[in-house]
Amino acid sequence: MSPAATGPDLSMFNRFSKTFRKGDIIFCEYEPGDTFYLIQSGRVQVVRIIGELEKNIAILNPGDYFGEMSILENVPRSATTIALDDVKALEFSRENFEVLTLGNPQIALKLLKGFVQRIYAQKRTFMILTLDDVEAKVADVFLMLAENQSIDTTSVDTIEFKNTVDDLSHWAGIPSGQCREVLNHFVAQRRIELYPDRMVVKNINDFARFVNSRRKHQEK
Amino acid sequence: MSPKAVQYRANSIIYFKGDQSDRIFLLNAGKVSLSYVDIETGQEVRDLIKMGEFFGVKSALGRYMREETAIVLQDSAVMVFSVPEFEQVASKNTRIIAKMLTVFSNQLRRIHRQVQNLMVSDEQVNPETGLYKIGEYYLKNKRPGQALYAFKRYLVYYPTGSYATEVTSKIVQAEEFLSRYGSGTPPSAAPGPAALPPAGGPRASAAPSAETGETSELAQHYYNAVSLVSQEKYLEAFKAFKKILDGGPDPEYSAKAEFEMAKCLFYLKQYDTCIKSFTAIAQKFPKHPELKDALFFVGRSYEEKGDKARAGGLYKKIISMGPEDDAVVRKVKKALRTLEGEKA
Repeated sequence: MSPAATGPDLSMFNRFSKTFRKGDIIFCEYEPGDTFYLIQSGRVQVVRIIGELEKNIAILNPGDYFGEMSILENVPRSATTIALDDVKALEFSRENFEVLTLGNPQIALKLLKGFVQRIYAQKRTFMILTLDDVEAKVADVFLMLAENQSIDTTSVDTIEFKNTVDDLSHWAGIPSGQCREVLNHFVAQRRIELYPDRMVVKNINDFARFVNSRRKHQEK
Repeated sequence: MSPKAVQYRANSIIYFKGDQSDRIFLLNAGKVSLSYVDIETGQEVRDLIKMGEFFGVKSALGRYMREETAIVLQDSAVMVFSVPEFEQVASKNTRIIAKMLTVFSNQLRRIHRQVQNLMVSDEQVNPETGLYKIGEYYLKNKRPGQALYAFKRYLVYYPTGSYATEVTSKIVQAEEFLSRYGSGTPPSAAPGPAALPPAGGPRASAAPSAETGETSELAQHYYNAVSLVSQEKYLEAFKAFKKILDGGPDPEYSAKAEFEMAKCLFYLKQYDTCIKSFTAIAQKFPKHPELKDALFFVGRSYEEKGDKARAGGLYKKIISMGPEDDAVVRKVKKALRTLEGEKA
């Protein structure tokens, strides 16, 4: 769901233009999907209902695309999309999608790169989730967040994160109560500092060593 | 700069797992395998590269470390591209990208599923239950517009599904809520529609606007009748729809009820009347959004009556209306194949 190319002229696709009013669902998770969207104006929120909570996955802006998965694979939608403003979007069917990608290499390449990024992001999450040790999981979430900010962990020690406990518990795949316990333990060990609006990891390399040793231990 | 042709000897390594590079390779001749550890099973896997296939694409495009080791099994001829060179070639032949998109989306789906399995311990939800639960979530959270979307889609995909009855009554609830408080906005102390007296009961006919009250009552009758269809009680459904029509014209529900009645006639095996009804609808509303459905019922009625020529003619007509990926068109194509298969 990365931005589409800024260059291509899409005026020829105006007949595929659709408008959604603020609050409209564009498509629902689990629906069979056969359309793909390119946002022209307005924002779109991507959510999933997990248990009793609506979890925000992403906010998409003009130039972003969504819905491409179902169209390529003929599988149900994996998330719900809701118009956050009045939204204008180009709607492509499987047939038109092919026309769009075959005729617009820039967009096709952007899609391809978007897929690559998402595959790696998922693999990284998978690595966190398969750690046995719950403290290592939380530490590895910090490492992943640092990587996402392109921070070279070998050259810095202290890193500030604007994330919440819920974010961390989500990525670590553990209940937020348990995540809080781990964080409190880290605070007691003076490895992190917790503030209402941020978290500070005092020595990210210490976390890197800790996670690596746990992972190696697990592989044995 | 342009792509380079490189010869590799058997048993040499093109790249190692952990390397970082922006090179993309295309196998022209020989035999190359990719060896990597499957993250799920921990087993080492070896994939053979097909002739004319690109490899090393993901790590080069994403600037990540190589996840596999590329081993030359027999002397091989390989073209080596930089990322811009690859992009240039792919832009000229977008089929390459289209094919990769399918491969990558499969990989993404797979890893996504694995991650989801680890994240939530709940059992995998089937799409039917999932869609119902989403509607329920939004209804519970007083977002009737969104609940209605999910429930209505449910009835489209699972008209006789296991939640069809609940969905029907929840649609009525959501519509009532919507008519009282507006779309997606929870009731608040704010002035405006929320100044209505609190709902005294499910019917709450105390609503000041008689029109609003009537609409939602009609909606309830309509969806009750739809529910009867989903329970395959076609005669009762037919009667219920007829009652709606007899109640006088309504901009939304009259046409819908008429359509549903014609459908019931088909299931009641009243093929002649069904043909007549749908033909009348098609004439009255030549741009009816469900025209293809209507014609399909007419075709099926002819088929049931043994008039295969007419049925086939209608099926072909629907198919010609396109588009090819339309759900009805796909169904009709299947029906036509069966029909022609029987004839042969």
